[in-house]
Amino acid sequence: MKIKFKIRRYNPAEAETAEPYIQAYMLDVPEGMTVLEALLNIVDDQDPTLSFRKSCRSAICGSCAVSINGFSKLACNTQVIPEYKKAGEMLIEPLANHTPLKDLIVDFAPFWRKMEKVAPYLTPEEGAPTMAVTPKDEERVDRSQRCVMCGCCNAECNSMAIDEKYIAPAALAKAWRIVGDVREGNAKKRLERLSEEHGMWDCVRCVHCTQYCPKDVSPLKAIEELRSAAMKEGITDNPGAKHVEAMKDSVERFGRLDEAAMTFKTLGFLRSLGMIPFGLRMEKHGKLPRPHIFAQIEDLDEVKKIYEEAERRAEAEKKEMESRKKG
Amino acid sequence: MELKYAYYPGCASQEMTKEANATTRLVCKKLGIGLHDMPKANCCGAGLLTDYDYQLYLALNARIFAEAEAMGMDIMTICSTCLMVMSTANRDLLADPKLLEKTNEILATAGLRYNGTIKIKQLLWVLAGDYGLDNLKKKVVKPLNWIKAAPFYGCHSLRPSDALGFDDPERPWSLDAVIEALGGEAVQYKGKTKCCGFQVDLVVAETAEKMTATRLLDGKEKGANAFVTPCPFCHINLDNYQGLAEKRASQKIAMPVFHLSQLVGLSLGLTAEEMGLSRHLVSPEKILK
Repeated sequence: MKIKFKIRRYNPAEAETAEPYIQAYMLDVPEGMTVLEALLNIVDDQDPTLSFRKSCRSAICGSCAVSINGFSKLACNTQVIPEYKKAGEMLIEPLANHTPLKDLIVDFAPFWRKMEKVAPYLTPEEGAPTMAVTPKDEERVDRSQRCVMCGCCNAECNSMAIDEKYIAPAALAKAWRIVGDVREGNAKKRLERLSEEHGMWDCVRCVHCTQYCPKDVSPLKAIEELRSAAMKEGITDNPGAKHVEAMKDSVERFGRLDEAAMTFKTLGFLRSLGMIPFGLRMEKHGKLPRPHIFAQIEDLDEVKKIYEEAERRAEAEKKEMESRKKG
Repeated sequence: MELKYAYYPGCASQEMTKEANATTRLVCKKLGIGLHDMPKANCCGAGLLTDYDYQLYLALNARIFAEAEAMGMDIMTICSTCLMVMSTANRDLLADPKLLEKTNEILATAGLRYNGTIKIKQLLWVLAGDYGLDNLKKKVVKPLNWIKAAPFYGCHSLRPSDALGFDDPERPWSLDAVIEALGGEAVQYKGKTKCCGFQVDLVVAETAEKMTATRLLDGKEKGANAFVTPCPFCHINLDNYQGLAEKRASQKIAMPVFHLSQLVGLSLGLTAEEMGLSRHLVSPEKILK
């Protein structure tokens, strides 16, 4: 099947290629050919100047992530024909949210800086008793350790597209790999740092990271685990955690979300005052939420019982872990 | 075949975006889609309970499913976040019998049990799937030939696709197809699969407002004279908070935003008043015909 590859190119070293442009290549694509094989073919037969990263060709090294028809994928585990049939074209660009250096090669330095920020290695407590890691312990962090650092998640992250300082999903998945490890001695300190500005509470839950991870790491799940762990450690003096606490309280008391109380509890008294002019505008259109006073659903006692039982179990798990850690 | 669903409007549409709930009821009545109330249904947690305690989140969602199971119907919601949160819980429970059993042990303390037989849908999917676009077309009496709508799917109608399964997360078609079935034009723009920022409105307002502005300006630049969304949270950001987004972007956007149900209602001949359009902060008056 003859397919036109449109590739975004850029080479700041030459005056005529210093602005990004699209170059087209025609290629005869057999069934089963991957995007990486196609790129290698183009370099061999048509244009040796085309630059991109690659190594293992089997989705292990994480080098060849590019944007294919607008979405981040590994070139080596994406087949050309199904992709072309679905999108109606074959447009290959450098990863989004990263600065291109040349053609499809992007600057990964910021990616590594974010990774370094979470200190991606275990720091056991000195003198702590040796602890056996059970299969269940391993399962908690198993998905996080599948990461091949390809950058697809960060490239898709909608929050990072707005705020480049955001720590972003790749480093957060790695942070959970460490925090969720039973041998880690500084989990609480790490969670405190992750709760700071541009940290884990900046995730907008757009689910792109999880959708486009080629290794099924599910960074969003890691972010949820981190947030849960922080709340269980009592690290709640920040808007993100307060927001979750307000939700938890609201559902427990009324069975439903109390929008008025959520705003007040998350923002606190002073910042809520600042919302008054805006609130008045909403009120004009009947949009200002009223705080709940009574139960909003039938059989609310069932909800309360579920809370009690879930919290009893969470408490028991926490105690068990503490006693294991003591040896 | 008679269509009937256990109807789960979600918290936002019972309070801040009441108009989405009211108009969905009117539209479904007109189309002959049966909506059956779930008086016991609790909040799904909107993702926030997942951040608090995963097992609690599963149990509270299973309580919702148990009510639908007792009614003998699948669930239809009009909130993409409810759709995603419930679908993800259901995926996890069905994929792991041990997890389902553990969750049922918690439910048992409240005298409840979930057997794993429920599907979760949203109005958009019911219209584009169960009800059918051809049937919908036949009901249109006032084609929306005045609208160039930017379809705003919202994250949680599309991702994670292994839990949702209906539409294509990269090239979604359902909302485009419904707009066209109603006689309108669907505008193509990059932001249609992207996020409105709602989840961090109260946490990192700057990110949320910039994100909302980016989406609206993207659609506007591609020629949209309105946005339409199947999600009340997206609606809150795109309409209620458009003023904040404008401030952040230092420019006027003035983009009317419709709930999906409102567009359907207008095409079925229901009035602007019945569709609660005066509740919007950005008035759609000047584009209505």
